[in-house]
Formats: sequence, structure tokens, C-alpha cells
Amino acid sequence: MDSAPAKRRKLDHRKDATDVALESAALTGISRSRAFVLETDELLDSVRLDYGAAFEGADGLLHRIKGAVEGIKAQEALPAAEATSKLEKKHKIKVPFPDPRPHENSNYKVTFAKPAQFNVVGSYVSKTMITTQEGHGVDMVLVLPQEILQEKDYLDLRYFYKRAYYLAVIAAALRKEMGSEAELSYEHLNGNPLCPVLAIQPTASKPKDMDKRMLDYRIRIIPCAPDGFFPKAKLHLGASLVRKGREGDANTSSEPTPFYTSTLVAETCFLSYLKALKQAEKKCAAFKDACILGRIWLQQRGFGGSISQGGFGHFEWAVLLALLLQGGENKGQAALSASLSSTQLFKALIQFLSMTNFAEKPCVFGSANPDVEPLLEYGPVLYDSARQLNIAFKMGPWSAALLHQHAKWTRSLLASRAADQFNPTFILKTDVPSHTYDFVARIDIDKASRESGSDSRGQAWQLSTQVYLILRRALADKEMGERARLIHIQTQACAPWHLAEEPKAPKSSPLEVGILFDPVNMARTVDRGPSAGPSAQEKEECESFRRFWGDKSELRRFERDTIRETLIWTSTTPFDLCEEIMRYALGLHLRIGHLHDEIIAHGNGVPSLLSLKPADKTLFNVAKKAFGTFERDIRDLEDLPLRASGKWPESLVAIQRTKIAFLLMIGRLLETSKPDEIKTHVGLENSKYETENLSFLDVVYESGPSFRLRIHSDLEESLLERQVKDKTAEQYLRQRATTLLATFRRLYTNLPLHNQYMSTSSTRFPALSPTIRLVKHWFNAHKLSYHFTEEFIELAVLHVFLTPYPWDAPTSASTGFHRTLLFVAHWDWRSEPLVLDTSGEMPAAERTSIATRLEAWRKIDPNMNHTVLFVATAQEPSGVAWTTLDGQPKPSKVVATRMTALARTATRLVREQGVELDCRRLFVPSLREYDVLIHLNGKALRSTLKTYAAIDPEDEGENSVGRPAKFKNLDEHTGMEPLPLAQHPAELFLEHLSATYGGPLVFFRGGVEDNTIGAIWNPQVQKRTFKVNLPTSYKPVAAQKRSIGDEDGDDKGESVEVNKEAILSEIARIGADLVERIEVRGV
Amino acid sequence: MPSVPAVIGEFSVLPISVPPLPSFPRHVIHYLYVRRNTPKIPTATDARSLFLTNVPVDSTEAHLRALFASLVGAGRFESATFEDERKDAHSQSQSQSPIDVAQPAHVARLLQAHSSKKRKREGDDEAERAREEEAAARLPSTWTRPLRRSGSTAVVLLADEKSVEQVLRAIAKTHKTNKYPAWGGSDHLPEGRVPPLGSLWLRAHNRLSYPDREALQATVDAFSALFARREQEAAEVAKRLRNEPDEDGFVTVTRGGRAAPASRTEAEEAKRKMLDRNEKKKEELTNFYRFQLRERKKAEQAELLKRFEDDRRKLEALRVKRGKFVPDA
Repeated sequence: MDSAPAKRRKLDHRKDATDVALESAALTGISRSRAFVLETDELLDSVRLDYGAAFEGADGLLHRIKGAVEGIKAQEALPAAEATSKLEKKHKIKVPFPDPRPHENSNYKVTFAKPAQFNVVGSYVSKTMITTQEGHGVDMVLVLPQEILQEKDYLDLRYFYKRAYYLAVIAAALRKEMGSEAELSYEHLNGNPLCPVLAIQPTASKPKDMDKRMLDYRIRIIPCAPDGFFPKAKLHLGASLVRKGREGDANTSSEPTPFYTSTLVAETCFLSYLKALKQAEKKCAAFKDACILGRIWLQQRGFGGSISQGGFGHFEWAVLLALLLQGGENKGQAALSASLSSTQLFKALIQFLSMTNFAEKPCVFGSANPDVEPLLEYGPVLYDSARQLNIAFKMGPWSAALLHQHAKWTRSLLASRAADQFNPTFILKTDVPSHTYDFVARIDIDKASRESGSDSRGQAWQLSTQVYLILRRALADKEMGERARLIHIQTQACAPWHLAEEPKAPKSSPLEVGILFDPVNMARTVDRGPSAGPSAQEKEECESFRRFWGDKSELRRFERDTIRETLIWTSTTPFDLCEEIMRYALGLHLRIGHLHDEIIAHGNGVPSLLSLKPADKTLFNVAKKAFGTFERDIRDLEDLPLRASGKWPESLVAIQRTKIAFLLMIGRLLETSKPDEIKTHVGLENSKYETENLSFLDVVYESGPSFRLRIHSDLEESLLERQVKDKTAEQYLRQRATTLLATFRRLYTNLPLHNQYMSTSSTRFPALSPTIRLVKHWFNAHKLSYHFTEEFIELAVLHVFLTPYPWDAPTSASTGFHRTLLFVAHWDWRSEPLVLDTSGEMPAAERTSIATRLEAWRKIDPNMNHTVLFVATAQEPSGVAWTTLDGQPKPSKVVATRMTALARTATRLVREQGVELDCRRLFVPSLREYDVLIHLNGKALRSTLKTYAAIDPEDEGENSVGRPAKFKNLDEHTGMEPLPLAQHPAELFLEHLSATYGGPLVFFRGGVEDNTIGAIWNPQVQKRTFKVNLPTSYKPVAAQKRSIGDEDGDDKGESVEVNKEAILSEIARIGADLVERIEVRGV
Repeated sequence: MPSVPAVIGEFSVLPISVPPLPSFPRHVIHYLYVRRNTPKIPTATDARSLFLTNVPVDSTEAHLRALFASLVGAGRFESATFEDERKDAHSQSQSQSPIDVAQPAHVARLLQAHSSKKRKREGDDEAERAREEEAAARLPSTWTRPLRRSGSTAVVLLADEKSVEQVLRAIAKTHKTNKYPAWGGSDHLPEGRVPPLGSLWLRAHNRLSYPDREALQATVDAFSALFARREQEAAEVAKRLRNEPDEDGFVTVTRGGRAAPASRTEAEEAKRKMLDRNEKKKEELTNFYRFQLRERKKAEQAELLKRFEDDRRKLEALRVKRGKFVPDA
């Protein structure tokens, strides 16, 4: 056949350059993940450490430490108390015994002998540290020699006492050895109070000219137990190994001590895991990179190996990945292939974490099948049966839930076709409580002090667990509908402490409870519990319900005659309900929250500024209903000319005039149809050209609402389109037609679609509407709103709901507001369009074309004089409908830059101050930055709000403005109907100022009530040579100044500079009584 | 006080002293630049007019009259034309009237030529009547007085050429005596001659924005009448065009019967139909031949490659812009 030769030819040219490129293109996968892969590679390159330079001298130091430790003489075994006091006397070093300390009279013997083994472990050897992590540590484990241990040491902390003494001896020796070269301190390994370790921080003695890449690293000395020393059978998860109470008396209860046991097992597994990780590294080329990606992902979400950071860090990630590579749940069969790339491994592990919540379903690796189900009560289970270790032993149920949730969010992000996958996954820091939780409460533990129990993690931990369990029962009851999607508890970490001191208990260590709402359920004010039926099961359920809720529970009858246990709450907003329930439940069961400051709730600061109420919604509904009435009134008009006339004149000017005629007619018809209810006024627009819309109809209902009616004519659009395309027309006419067409489309096409979409979205996202109000308030407060269309702000907020990654859509106004600020702060509008997939299925080609359009704009208009922000939706792909007005960018580049700067400052403040931030600070405008402040006279403004058809304001002039009527209801206009307000006077005034001084001044003003206009002199309009066409008022530069420098400078023309004072004086004249004071700053 | 140059370029500098206001209590000097009016297209009155630039934004004819009266005494000032007014006049003369009748461009041009010919023929009476008609159709203004753009110009017409001389001399004199004329001083600006600014101005605007219903109806009616007549004229011209050769001797072929030229909507409809037909035809023939499939595959590959390159390029651009990809701290 004739196709054969073609094939052969193709084979010959196989090494063609295009083919190679094609291959690499195909390798990176489909288009959406390609960018992600490329960016991830870039990320790996930039965070990778240059180990040689970063840890210069570390190896030498490690050798020195090894030598010093080996040089310590073996000691005789002494009873703990004696040995301790000897050590303290001789070296002034405390032994970091875990709590409870060994009893004074106990006869445990402690001693020292040369370590059986030295080993450097952790990310230093695996080279998976990154530049941006918090603190770089080199971990060196010393295996305790078998001779100083006894088999039964696994009981009652004995091993940990010996280990602590061992560490103290080493500390003493090393302090002698290092002298002032390093600083030594104790710290808890991963915040585990059972395992103190020694941290050696080389004193910063590096010379100034040294390599900048060198890090401030620390070396940690970690004593551990020999592998397999303790009898495995005794160390099963359900074992009860701490049998003595605090006072040394025998503890009869055989409550399992899973945390203690797991710590003990972990002590013997260091080397085994080191080996496992090494193997994984060898087997899978991308293992290390996948670990680095995991480290970054966890770190950006505030996770770490330490108990206070959730107990799931880089080590746990690496081990989990290694286990999955080795052979997963199915026997023998590895869950992940070793040939996967780092991003694929990363995605696989995210997938894994998103499917399993260790706190709800135990996850077991290996062939053994231990009965771990009952242990879930004590915490999450991620069990490695080969080493008998619960890898998740440092996690609380909340941190397992949070990890699961984050993994789910990231998975949905990675599955999203549209969103930017890279930045939310790795770059964005998402551990700020105000961004994540709708409700944050601090519980002061000192005041809520409790008796201690058997958990080695201490009081705070036990309290956290109790609080968590109570809150979960109270807020996440599946039967009644979960109010909270996530409950998280943040505990405080214990800081490193000095060798000669006891570990410092954190001074005041409040627990931080973060709650993520289900906005619909959290707004519920009545909880319906189990029905009070006669069956035994129902009785039991009711009993349990009453036991938990106490007196709050009452029986109520509901529809269909069911009688149920019921809870009635008095608050109205989701936030207040959450607080009320929390206070009630914690008060009932833990007796905390009765004192005023034991529980402090945060997160409502921003919404409370606007006093948003659920009742607001009814007000909106009233307005909506009024609009419905208005619409019906219009539809009910008989002989409405619009319906009859499909024929508009083929002339723009004539169309505009015809509209006036229609409006006049509609007005008359409405007034006749409802003579006592409706008053109408045809108003003239503030228009420049005869071809633009000239008029509107104000319809005022006696009952309050009023509406403004404009007429939409299709023909107007096609006429304008024709003018735009008409190549024979003059340029300025085409330009004008383009602007008018944009206005037309915004008003008659885009605005209705936008409104419709926003209203659907507000139903879909209950938090959307209050968030929009808050964000608008923020724009107002910072005097930005004059430069922005409301639609733009609405879309910016909506974007945070539609593309909420790395979270889910905000569930309260507070998180919505904070995340919107975060988005605005991060949005690089110079090169990124804001694309909202409002249709839910925007094709990739559409997105690309939007991006291309922005690129094209930037090419034609690099200074951004015409297009600045670019916001496209599925309905409005042009991207400029809401960000340009009358051919001018809205906002201009200067203002957009200011918006970004303000949002950055705000997010920084939120990050630094955390939940304790006084939210009012976010809304305080900084007036210092304006050159000029124009203070408007509120009284004069109010006087302009009312005008009357029959009274010429100039005649009325002095009589009423200067002297307000004594009785408001008795002024001379009683009984007269005031005219509607065509436009707010302050706005009108500002528009005039902007039109008059568009060159030299940029004005700023907030909402309707803002009576202070800020202004900044444009630095580009300043001193210049004199010309006939001046952009603003100029004054000649004083003669003598000129004569010094350039006598012969006449040919250059004379220079002039902006006559600022004259301009301000003009503003004062325009404003007259409206301007109270013009304040000039920094002149 | 630093001395002010009396002349800048070919302009004389006229400093005007602006009295302080309670909201801005400073004594301010505004600088007006004045020269003889020498427009590119000379007019009859050039010799007795002055060209001003940097007029204050709140200028009115009354203001300038008062200003010139204080310089050279009353009675020399005739009128003032501001920049925005001149521009209006200019654009009006171009398109004849704001009331344009939508027509294809060449018809509109011919119509214009036709009507100007007619106007010339029928003399000033006709023109006067047309102006009146247009004035009746014009909508009332919503402002009692306009503001001028900052730094804009004006042309002042004086009584005679001598006055121009006198004004320029008076300006030179102010520099010697340092006695600057005052802006809007009440001694020259009688109360009530100029509508006030400030709240009264805005209130007046609001009142004027809602004109009397009958008056508005009257302008609309006047406009309709005028428009109907213009349309009629246009139709006639268009009809005549079918038989009349243009300047180059061609006769424009226009669709439609003897009655009237074809309507636009009809033409658009036809065009849409044709496009639809083409589209359908095209659709039927895609992926019909094997070479088409092959070519499509090739194109897809090229597209893939292009997108890959694009991504790489974008990444490169990002790297340049952002420096490094580092997680937020």
C-alpha cells in the first residue's frame, strides 16, 4: 500500500528535534497539570539546600560530639535520687525527668555507659531539608547500651528516667567540651514530654564574609533504646504500662496507655525507620522530591511532627510514603509504583490522606491484623505492624480531622480544571486561624484547672481531649445535622529550657478552639433531638440526650404529632449560636466558661462592625417584593406603547428622544392606574451627547420604595455597533460610539445577567451576601469605592467563593472577608486576569482566549491608561465591563496599586496579630497619605437633598439654608412633594472635580456618608515648559530663580509649575458652602 | 513676594488676586495668560479679540467682563467664548446638526451637500427657521452654569482694536504697581448676575433635572416633527440617487423597488441566512476525507507542542518577574 513508505520515512527521522519536544510535552501530561509539574520543578529547585555550604562544619562538630561522648567514663549504678543530686552539685545541671519525677525513695538505679551506637538520622542524612523551613536540625541518635537497661524498664516510666539521666550526663560532658562555642539547652522531642533531648546551637561566630548560604543549624542529641530490647508482646497498643499514680501509689485501673506505649516503641525504631527510608530512596528516584513537596505542603498548613503542630510532619509523611511504596494494605502488592514522578507521588499521597481520616477509621499497614478498632477512642491510628508502631500516636483526633480536611481540599483543587493549582498548594500560607475558622475561642486552662490523669501528654492535652469530645457531641451531632464541619484545637508548645532549670510550663497556655461552620445548620435555633417514643431504644436515646444536654433539653411537640427532646437557643446569628452552645456545653460538663474571661470568642469582630443581622435578609426581601410589585404594575399597564412598537427610528438621536416620549407616557399611565400610590418624574441624565441615553423615569411609591426606569432598545445597540465598525466615519466619532456601546452593554446586557447570577449565588452561598457587604465597607472605609464599580467588588468576593482553594467556600462573613483581602493582596492584576467560571463549565479555550486578550491589552497599552483590572466571567468575557467606565479605567493604575497595598497591609496585620486583632483597625483610613483633605459640610449637603419643583433654590436661598425651621414638621414646604434626587450631591460635586482636575489631582472618597474627600497631587503633572494647552492651572516660576541658572534658556521656553493654591481656591469656590474646610498636608 | 515675569512666551501674564474664603483662608494669585488672538483660520474679529489661556474654572462671561472693566474701565468688553463652547460650535458645523438621520455614509454625505446647496439657495430666512426649529427641539440644560476644564482657554472680543492695546498695557502696568485685579469681586460683579455655585448650584441642578412635563413633551414633539421632515428629505435624496451619477460618474445601485430603499433589517437578515448556509455546508464536509483527519491530528500535535512551549515561556516569564518560587513564610 502507499502508506508503507511514509511510515518507514517516519522511523528514519525519529530523532527529530520536534519529536523530542513532543515527547517531553506528552510526558508532562495533559495541559492543566503540565503547568503544575513545571512550576513544582521550579519550586524544588529553589528550595533545595546546598548542604555543603549550609551545614559547613556540621560534620566536624558531630565527630567532636561523638568523641566527647565516647570519652565519658562509665559510672557506677546509683539510685536515681542520689545520682541526680550528685550531678546537680557537680555540674549544676538538672536531670530533665519527665513528669511525674521518680519518687524520692524509689530504688531505680541510673547510670552511664558508652552508647552502643551513634547514628545521624532524619532529614539531614536524607537531604530533604529546604531553605524555608522553620529551624534546621541535625539529629544524632545515641543508642543506650543494653547493660544499663533492664527488660522491665518499659514499666512506669523507668526507661525514661534512665534516659533522662543519661542525657544529663552527656549534657554535662558536652558543655565542658564546647565551652562558649555552642549553646546547650533541653527540649522535648516533637513536644513529647517523655523524651527530652539536648539541643546544641553553635554560637554565631561565623565571620561576616562567610557564605550567606550557611544556616543557623542546631544539632540535637537524641538518646534512644536498642532495637527489639523490650518484649514486643508487652508493648501492644492496648497495654497498660503506667500503673503507679503520681504519688507512687499503685494505680489499680488498667486503663490502656497507648501514647506511653507508642513513645516507647518509637524509641526503639529510629534505626529501623532510617533503614526503611534509605531503601525507599534507593528504590524510588522521586522519593526525596516527593518528601520535600510533602514537607512544604504540611508546613504551609501549619503541620509538623510536634504534638502542638498536629503530630504529622515530614517524618510521618516520608514513612507513610515509604510504606505505600513498599507494599500497601494489600499483602505484598505495593500501593504505589516506584516509577512515579514526584508530583505523581505527591498527588497519590494527598489522595490517600483525603480518603482516610485516621481518627475515624484505623489504617493498618502490613500483614498483622491487630485489633485496633477500640483504640480509636484514644486517638487516631495509623499502624505499622512490622514495627508495631502507631505512626499517628502524636496526633489528636482534631489534627487527624484537619489533615484529612486539608487533603480533601487540596485534592479537589488538583482535580479542578480551571484554578491555579500550584500557588494554593505550595505557596500560600494557610495556617492563620482567621482565614480558616469561622469561630475561634480561647479557653484559659489555668482557670479551668483539672486533676491530672494517666495521659503522659499532660493536663492541657487531657483538657483538650475533653473539650474536643464535648464540642463534637454538641456541635457535630449527625442526627440533628452537623453544625460544625471541623473542630480544631490548638495547644501550646513548650519552649526549650536551660540545662540548670526545670522545663518552663507555658505561662498562660490557652487552648485555641477553631470551628468551621456548616452555615445552614449553624443558623438553626431549634435542635430536634430523638423522639420520645415508647420503645426501649428510643428511651435510651432520650436518656443519653438528656444526660448530655442537662436541663436545656425539653420535650416539644412537632408537626405530625411527634414529641421530641428539643433544645431551644436564644441567639440568632451562627456565630452567637456557636458561642452560646459552646459555653453551655463546656459549662455543664467541665464547669468552665462561667467566669467571664475563661472563654473568649474571636472571629466576629469584622461582622459586628456592620452589625449584620439575620433580620437584614427580610429587609432585602421587602425591597425585592416591592420590585416585584413595580414590575407587575408596569406589566399591567394597558396599551403600553413598548409592546406595540417594534419599530424604532433608525437614528440614535431619535431613539433617545423617543425614549423620553415613552417615559412620559409610562409615567402618565402609571399615575392614572394607581393615582394615590404612585408619583412619577421624568429626569434628564447628566449626558454629554445627544446620542447617549438622555432620560430616566423615577417612580415613587407612596409606601416608600422608589424605582428608576430606563428603556432598552435593541436597535440602539446595532446602530452603535455599525458606527464602531464604520471605517469611513471619523476617529473621534468611532471612539465615542465604542464608549457608548460599552455603556449600553453594561447597563442593558451585563447588569441584568450579573444581578441574576449574584442573586442565585447568594442563595447557594449563605455567607456571600454578608461578605460582600463587609468588603464594600472596607472599600468605603479606605475611600476607594469612588474608583470601583460595585459589580467589580461583588465579583472579587464571588471569586473567593467559586475558587476557594486551598480551602472550601467560606462559611461565614468573617472568613469570607479575610480571604477576599488575601486574594486582593495576592492578585497580580498586571499580568493575571480574574476569571470567574460563572457557568460552571467554562471551556479551557475560553480561558486561554481571556488570558490572550489581557496580554493583548497590555501590549497595546503598557502604561495601563485604558485598561487596568481585567475581570471576565462566562457571560462577560470581554473582561472590562466592570473595570472601565466611559472609556476610563476604573480604577486607574494608581488606585489599583493602592488597593493592593492596603490589602497587603491588612493581611499582614491579620497574620501578625492573629485572632486577637482589633478588627476596627482594618477599617481605619490613614488620612496622612493624602496631600489634600476636603471636608464637606454635612449640614449643607443635607440641605441639597430636598428640592421642590415649584421653588427656585436661589430665591429660597438665604431664607431656609441659613436658618433652619424651628419645627421640622412645620417648615414652609409642608404638604409639598419634594423632587426625587437625581444623584447624590456629594457624588455630583466629586464628579465635577474629577472632570475638571483629572490631570493634577486624584480624588478619593468612600460611601454615601463619607464627608471627607482625600486627594493626591499627580506627580506626573508638575513643573513644565509653558505651552498654550495647559493640562491645569499653572503659575510662572519666579523670575530670579530662573535667571541664576539659565540665562540663555529662553529658547527652551519658560517653565511653569502647578498653581496648587489657586486650584484649591477654585475648589473652595466651586464647593462654596458645601466645603467646610480644605486641609493641606505636607506642603 | 518673588517677582513675577510680565511676559511668558508671547503671552502677557495677568496675575489675578483671589480673595480668601472661609473654607480656604489664603490669599491666592491666579495667573491668566493673555495674547492677541491669531487663530490658524483667521476671522473678521481677530484684530479686536484677545486669546486667554488658564482661565479659572468658575469663569463666566460676567466674570471676565468685570475683570476687563477693572483693567480698562467699563464698556470695552463685548463677549467671551470659552474653549468648550468653541468646540461645540466646531462639531456642530461639521455634522450640520445634532439630528442625524441614519443613512449609509455616502447618502448622508450627499444629503449634506444637497441641503447646504439648498440652504444657500434659499437664503438666510430658511436657515433662521431651521435654527429656531432645532432650538425648540433641544432639551433644557440641567445646569445653571458650567465649569471650565482646569487650564482651558477663552477668546475675548473687545470693542475695538484700541482696547486690545489698552488691555495689554494695563496688564504690563499691574506688574509695576503690584496692584492685581481681584477675581469675582462684588464691586464689579453685581449680585445675582451670576448664578451661585455650591449647594444652591447643585440644588438648582436637581430641580432642572426634572423639567416640567409639558415643556419636555413639547421638545419631544418638536423633535419628532423635525426628524420626520429630515427623514422625508433623506428618503427623497436616496430615491433620486438611483438615477443620479455621483462625482465620478457612477450610479449607485440600491436595492428595493420604486417605493423605498431596502430597510437595513432586511439586509441583515439576508446576510445572516447566507452565513448560516455557509456554516452548514462547511460542517458537512469536515472529517469527510482521510487527509482531513490526518491533518487534524497533525494540527492537534502542533497545538500540544505550542501549548507546552507556551507554558514553558510563561514559567520563564514568571521566574523573571517573581525571582524564585518560594513558599510564603
